[in-house]
Parts: sequence; structure tokens; C-alpha cells
Amino acid sequence: MTRKQKKFTAFLWHRRAGLTAVILVVILAITGIMLNHTARLQLDSRYIDNSFLLGWYGIEPDGTPVSYRAGDHIITAWDNKLFFDQHIVTDLQQQIHGAMAGEQFIVVALESAIILLTLEGEFIERVSTSISFTNIQRLGMKYNRPVIETSDPLYYIADEHILDWDVISNEGIEWTRAHTLSDEEREALLVSYRGNGLKLERVILDLHSGRIFGNYGVYVMDAAAIALLWLSFSGLWVWGSRRRKMRQKRHFQKHHRS
Amino acid sequence: MNRTVSHHLNRQSFIFSGIRYALLALVLLQPAGLLAGGVYQEPDAFIAEAFDGTPPKPSVLWLDKELKQQFADILAHPYKGLRIRYWQQQDKSAWILEEIGKEKPITVGFVVRDGRIQQVKVLVFRESRGWEVRHSFFTDQFKQAGLTERHQLDTRIDNISGATLSVRAVSKLARIALLLDNRVNETRTSQIDTSSRG
Repeated sequence: MTRKQKKFTAFLWHRRAGLTAVILVVILAITGIMLNHTARLQLDSRYIDNSFLLGWYGIEPDGTPVSYRAGDHIITAWDNKLFFDQHIVTDLQQQIHGAMAGEQFIVVALESAIILLTLEGEFIERVSTSISFTNIQRLGMKYNRPVIETSDPLYYIADEHILDWDVISNEGIEWTRAHTLSDEEREALLVSYRGNGLKLERVILDLHSGRIFGNYGVYVMDAAAIALLWLSFSGLWVWGSRRRKMRQKRHFQKHHRS
Repeated sequence: MNRTVSHHLNRQSFIFSGIRYALLALVLLQPAGLLAGGVYQEPDAFIAEAFDGTPPKPSVLWLDKELKQQFADILAHPYKGLRIRYWQQQDKSAWILEEIGKEKPITVGFVVRDGRIQQVKVLVFRESRGWEVRHSFFTDQFKQAGLTERHQLDTRIDNISGATLSVRAVSKLARIALLLDNRVNETRTSQIDTSSRG
């Protein structure tokens, strides 16, 4: 006759749940403790400057900035945003091909549009140039007025109000050149782009809730929390069972010792 | 035909049918946006059409505080920009305006005559939903619409289910176009009065 194998189901599932959820439970516990001591650990006054994390949160600009000098100011296009010095002016949907300061306006040339700013950087107008031309290659200046070179190549000079464009020859035009940002200028742009920045507290909170990995991360953390609940109840059950069995064993040994 | 060949042919036709249906499903199940949206008419073509092929030179209207406030009241957000260009010939004006529908701007052309909308055309639609506003069954509703004293349209515009935000954006721009036409005509009238008195 074979001995019937005892099934200690609760213990087996207690062990399985624990092994499966160990990493998540550790994260839950550690981040939970950190959040309990937010003030002491200064989580709400420390900011993240790790590029990977900032990129993960979508507050690190993509690509390389392209800048031009416009008088005493710098016009930069970076990650679909137009900057006047370090201030974000507007969104961009096209590449920048030049910027210059004229008598009345700052002119920014895109692929098939012109953006006009005041000399103080206030947005005036965005104009599609498809009425006159497209495929802008570069921006220049002649008689203090903006000049556009297209891909044909043809050259167009604006009137004083930047309303209309006339064809001119390619003579005596001063073409704008890209400006290389200094480290300070680049840092100022980054600070402006990031806005208030990313607090360490935010990251810890998102890690604790699983939200750092999106909606599915939340469900995974929910599962870890349920696993923790299961571990608690199954642990209690196992403890209760063992205690009962120990009592039974002691009783048997006491009354059946020969 | 022996059973092997017949079986092979059946299997082939089954596979081809499967591929056909899969392709059909792929097309039909595409989000509607992938089959809609885009540039319906270039702004210069719209302006040329509005003035029968000989558009006038553009003018600009600089926005004063009053106008900017009126814009903000209509749009429910501040208007970005200090001037707007337009084309005018006698009692007709044409405007190309943009407003965000849900997330991206919709470019709309307006022709206004005698203070009433003569034509509305969606020139560029960039969203994945709500592109129904480009159709004439919607834009024709704006014909002969004017502005009330409270800067509302004096014509009822029916909504399109599933395109509410696009409908709202186009309606707001229609009010803006009428407001701008009104302002331009006021300025023109006062300039004529001043020059006739002088």
C-alpha cells in the first residue's frame, strides 16, 4: 500500500506567490517607506536631471537645437518649439531655415512659412508662403529686408510690412548663419523646456503606484498588492495549521507513549 | 480530377480567400482618420478662387485690445498673434484662419460679402476624427450667416455627431471672420469719411 502524499496547498501557493511577487513587493515596501519620510528625505525639493528619466516622462527635448542670431537675441528651434532666447514662443511643424532681425520685425523662415515676431519676441503672425513660394532653403537680408532663397533657386525680397514678395537677383544678400549655442545658452533652453522640472517625489510615487510604466504598470502593482494580501492570509493559515498540528502531535505523544 | 489535385485546389482557393478577406478587414478596420484628413486646398488656390483668379494684394489688420478681447470671448482662450492678413476687393473680404479642434489646428478659408458669409472651406484638416466638417452639407449651413450684436451667428448650425469639437472650431472661426470683416469695413468707412471731409 503506497503512502498518500500530503498536499499542503496553502503553503505551496504561499511560496509561489512570494517568489513571483518578491521584486514588486520589495519595490512597494521601499518606495512606501520613502514616501512616509518625504520631508526628511527632501523628496519634494530634489529634482531629477537624468536624461533617460526625463525622456521617459517626455520632458527632454528630442534632436539637436538649431539656432540663429537675430540682433541681440537668439532664435532656436528645438523639438518642434520655437524659442526667443530661452522663452518658448510657439510650436513648430516645419524645420527652421533662418532667422533675422529687420527694422520692425524678427523674421523666422521655415520650409513654407514665415513667422513674424516683434523685436521683443512677441508672436505677431505665422504666414504660409505657399501663396508666393515653397521649399525655402535659407533666409538672408538686403536693404534691411528679409530675402528668401527657394529650391529653384529663386530669390524673393519682402516689402516693408512683410506682406508681399518680389523676385530679385542673387546679389548683395547677406545670408543668415546658424549659431552655435554655448553651454549656458543650451542649459537655459533646457530649463525653459522642462518647465518646473521633475521632482524625485513624483518618480517615487509613480514607482510605488506602477504608473511609471503606464496603465499596465498600475495593474501589475495591483497584482503585487493582492499577492501581498494573499501572503498575509496564507501565512496566517499556514501558521494556524502548523500550530494545530503541533498540538495534535504533542497530545498524541503525551497520551500514547508507551 | 483526382482527389489530391482537387484537395490542393480547394486549399489554394481557401488561402486566397483568406488573404482577400484579411486585406479587406485591414482596410475596413483602419481608424477612420487614416482614410481622411489632409490638405484639401492650398490657401493660395482658395484666395485665387475667391476672387475669380485675380486676387488683390493682401492687407493686414492689427489687433487692438478690444478686438483681442472679443477674440478671447469667442475662442474661450487668448488669441496668439498681433495681426491678421486678409484680402479685400470692394465689399468682399477673404480670410484664412486656424483654430484647434481637439488637438491640432484646422485651417479654414472664409469669404465674407456685405457682412454675411459667402463661402466656408476647410483647407487643411490635421486631426484623425471630425473631418466630416469639410463636406458641403456642413459648410453650406454658414452661407448668408451674419453676426448678432452679441457676436453670435444669426444662423443655427447643426452639429455632426462625433465631430463636435471640429464643428465648434469652425463655428468660432466663422464668428471671428465676420467680426474681422466688420472691423475692416468700419475702418474703411471711417477712412472714406475722413478723406471726404478733408
